[in-house]
Amino acid sequence: MIGRPPWQRWFAILLAFAAIVAFDTDDARAEYGDVVINNYSDAAGMRPAIFPHWFHRVRFRCKVCHADLGFKFKAGGNEINMVKIIDGQFCGACHNGELAWSVENCNLCHSAKPGTPTQVHESTIQKLAPAALQKK
Amino acid sequence: MKIERVILPVLMSAFFGAAAAADAGKDLYTKTCAVCHAAGIAGAPRYGNVGDWQPRLAGGTARLYASALKGTAKGMPAKGGNLTASDGDVKAAVDFMLASVKAASASPAKPVAAAPAPAAAPVAAAPKAAAPVAAAAAPAASIDAAANTSGASAADINSFNRLLKPIGKRNPPPAEDGIHDPVNDGTVALMAPLAAYGPLPKSLAGNRVNWVKAIDEKKINPRWDRQDANAAPVVIDLNIVREVKGSMPDVVYPHKQHTEWLDCSNCHPAIFVPQKGANAISMAAILLGEKCGVCHGKVAFPVSECRLCHSKKKEFRPAQATAPATK
Ligand code: HEC
Ligand code: HEC
Ligand code: HEC
Ligand code: HEC
Ligand code: HEC
Ligand code: HEC
Ligand code: HEC
Repeated sequence: MIGRPPWQRWFAILLAFAAIVAFDTDDARAEYGDVVINNYSDAAGMRPAIFPHWFHRVRFRCKVCHADLGFKFKAGGNEINMVKIIDGQFCGACHNGELAWSVENCNLCHSAKPGTPTQVHESTIQKLAPAALQKK
Repeated sequence: MKIERVILPVLMSAFFGAAAAADAGKDLYTKTCAVCHAAGIAGAPRYGNVGDWQPRLAGGTARLYASALKGTAKGMPAKGGNLTASDGDVKAAVDFMLASVKAASASPAKPVAAAPAPAAAPVAAAPKAAAPVAAAAAPAASIDAAANTSGASAADINSFNRLLKPIGKRNPPPAEDGIHDPVNDGTVALMAPLAAYGPLPKSLAGNRVNWVKAIDEKKINPRWDRQDANAAPVVIDLNIVREVKGSMPDVVYPHKQHTEWLDCSNCHPAIFVPQKGANAISMAAILLGEKCGVCHGKVAFPVSECRLCHSKKKEFRPAQATAPATK
């Protein structure tokens, strides 16, 4: 935002309001807040992972993951991989067979269509520029 | 894994193969192009997906013909790899794909076909493979109507809601939501959002659940500590009023609802300096995912719910610069 002339901001705002209030692309169907994580999965021949916020926030407050477990507020921004998970970090802090089902259930997490890029579903920014984000 | 990546497009082409008429463009699309363009393999613009094609249409159809004939650096092979196809047929295949987006952008038929009952339990083994085929097939059917442009029914084009999302497309079960792979066995085991939302208070946007009320009314009691189910959050009741220029009501930022969910360190100091008025916040920043937009518009209720933030009526202030700070 910094340093942009105001007209540009207003243009962005107008665009965005038009987009948010009325517009929905064809694919923006997935549940609000679903995060697709695909830094490494595609390249490793796994389906990308999907993290459903709605499901977890029924069970945990944001603080548990975003303060205690150190998940940064950025889709794809935590460099999660399987070694960290089996060592009890990130998803592995809970998906350890005690608090929640454990890592051998690969396909419950790795459930996205192959090729789906990292994203937060239904986010403002995604609605603003759906095409650009889906095909980066 | 690799094999399953191929199955989807193959299923689709099989379907199209059966349904295709003698139309050369449609034929070539089915035989050659659908493998990539049905599911968007390698970033190919998807058949019937307006968002994928819109930016590409800017350069005109001639440019698209050229890309299809000669290929592009980003993965489109010349003639889709089928070098025996005639130039005319390749152009016809492009036309066929373009017709799909013209039809899809106007046709209300597709969403209905693609997402029938969101409340339905996750689809069983057999139909789950069919779901994406149906989704891809729907626009094909509507093209037939729209292809002879003048003959297209006015009812389709001037449908009541052109851009608004139809109710049938909200909160779909994972297998139909467009990001989960319906061919994956795990997908079927996942919970459908609507099954969980049944007992929760409703709202008009986002998950369509009022999460603040859900906690207040004790419909849910999400843990504050990973292990300890009895740990309670440190809730502070401190409202910060931010005056807004113009007609919009002032913004009341409530610490109470936030500290039910979040730790102070989630916001202070990374997102907000903890001092009233010390942070420059604007709607533009929020829409771009900064400040309040770090969460609102991604996980917490979306920006469309103006009144939840702009909640404080104000006296009309002709000279708002000198207005006293309200608290
Ligand atoms: C609790 C959820 C979860 C489960 C269960 C899970 N994964 Fe993952 N996995 C992830 C996440 C999140 C990533 C990071 C995805 C990315 O950035 O592409 C990942 C990444 C990967 C990667 C790429 C990165 C790396 O470490 O090489 C592979 C391969 C992988 N998983 C395989 C598996 C296999 C095989 C299983 C089952 C034995 C499995 N995963 C189970 C969540 C999970
Ligand atoms: C069970 C753990 C968990 C809980 C609880 C949780 N989150 Fe998340 N959150 C995640 C994960 C995982 C990601 C994705 C991180 C990644 O891709 O590396 C994420 C990402 C995000 C992002 C980043 C989106 C972006 O811009 O890319 C935001 C914002 C967010 N969460 C907000 C929240 C809020 C608000 C709550 C509480 C209502 C919450 N989260 C609860 C695990 C959680
Ligand atoms: C704070 C603990 C916690 C963390 C961290 C966590 N989960 Fe979970 N997750 C759970 C619990 C508890 C369940 C419910 C388990 C059950 O049904 O037995 C669950 C269930 C799930 C489900 C199944 C939802 C359904 O429909 O049944 C998926 C998918 C999932 N988690 C993915 C992830 C991924 C991916 C990550 C990491 C990015 C992650 N989780 C991190 C606690 C956590
Ligand atoms: C092997 C996969 C594959 C096949 C088969 C394929 N395409 Fe493509 N196509 C792509 C990819 C990837 C792109 C995106 C490339 C880009 O952005 O330059 C693309 C882009 C295009 C574009 C847009 C190009 C632009 O400049 O914007 C057209 C038109 C097109 N394809 C037509 C066709 C036609 C017609 C066929 C069948 C005869 C076909 N494609 C078969 C992968 C494929
Ligand atoms: C969701 C984000 C968020 C969380 C979580 C949060 N705050 Fe704040 N806090 C804010 C905002 C926004 C302001 C107002 C800043 C401004 O006006 O520029 C603020 C202001 C403050 C102020 C300054 C008040 C004044 O009158 O100057 C204090 C003190 C404060 N917060 C303490 C806390 C404490 C303690 C916690 C944890 C119990 C907490 N905050 C949690 C967002 C948050
Ligand atoms: C770190 C994440 C985060 C940030 C940053 C944040 N919020 Fe929130 N906010 C939430 C969550 C989570 C809720 C609970 C409701 C929900 O999830 O929809 C909430 C609820 C609210 C509510 C209560 C609505 C009600 O129904 O009572 C208001 C008002 C609000 N936020 C305004 C703001 C404003 C204004 C800002 C910026 C100054 C802001 N929020 C920044 C996460 C955040
Ligand atoms: C998450 C909370 C939140 C939501 C939702 C929200 N706003 Fe705002 N809005 C703010 C905050 C915070 C400011 C900055 C107030 C200030 O100057 O301190 C603001 C400022 C504004 C301004 C003043 C110009 C500017 O950019 O600062 C306008 C106009 C405005 N909002 C309109 C809207 C409209 C219209 C909607 C609904 C589509 C909306 N807002 C939704 C929080 C919100």
